[in-house]
Amino acid sequence: MARVDITGGCLCGAIRYSAITARDIVTLCHCTECRRFTGHHWAAVRVLERDLQISGSAKLAWYAHSETARRGFCADCGSSLIFRFNDADFLGIAAGSIDTPTGLTAGQHIFCNEKGDYYEIADGVPQSESW
Amino acid sequence: MTEVQHKGQCLCGAVAFTVTGDLPTPTACHCSMCRRHTGHFLVSTEVQKTALQIHDETQLRWYRSSDRVQRGFCATCGASLFFDAIYRDWVAVSMGAFEPPTGTQMSLHIFTADKGDYYVIADGLPQNPQ
Ligand SMILES: [Zn+2]
Ligand SMILES: [Zn+2]
Ligand SMILES: [Zn+2]
Repeated sequence: MARVDITGGCLCGAIRYSAITARDIVTLCHCTECRRFTGHHWAAVRVLERDLQISGSAKLAWYAHSETARRGFCADCGSSLIFRFNDADFLGIAAGSIDTPTGLTAGQHIFCNEKGDYYEIADGVPQSESW
Repeated sequence: MTEVQHKGQCLCGAVAFTVTGDLPTPTACHCSMCRRHTGHFLVSTEVQKTALQIHDETQLRWYRSSDRVQRGFCATCGASLFFDAIYRDWVAVSMGAFEPPTGTQMSLHIFTADKGDYYVIADGLPQNPQ
């Protein structure tokens, strides 16, 4: 898959980043945790840790929602920014935080069995019930 | 007759709330501010401020994103929870925070002129460019 240069940041601008993505697709996660974190559902692109530069990381707060993964957000504005497994060398960067044009395309819906009851998935993108 | 109640909470549970009454049909907002705040786009239900009871506000933080709007999130887990129209009598509550069943269905997309370029809207619902 193609790699894409991206820049982005949180709503208040305290946190900015630049990266080269590992993929050109966005994964849409409908699990209950992602839905609670974002307020709707999660959408993220995979970035290798070594390909990510963050400015303002002092404002980046982390919440460990399980023993294996954690989520990053801006302490000042609350923007949902990062999902990462503790032992992985990659992260998921929130697609909504990426400056337009992103060069990315929605590629898969995951954990669709946990999706909210108030919306339908109708975009024709492949759906799975787990990863 | 007692009115229906809908419970919701942030990811970590520090901020929990109850909305009294049926949830109005949710709206999806694709403006660039909502997209940055949520990480994708915001789907929320506008309820009367008097219908929303927040049980513990200790970890609730507000970010003033414009003159008329502040956004509420949990300081512990970062969950995006509330879009408060400061000078109005309503507050929009993020749909992802609610326990199912929500008893409602999304009905409208707004600010689609600002939508992200990495997804398509294909659910057949009305789209308002602003
Ligand atoms: Zn911020
Ligand atoms: Zn998820
Ligand atoms: Zn929380």
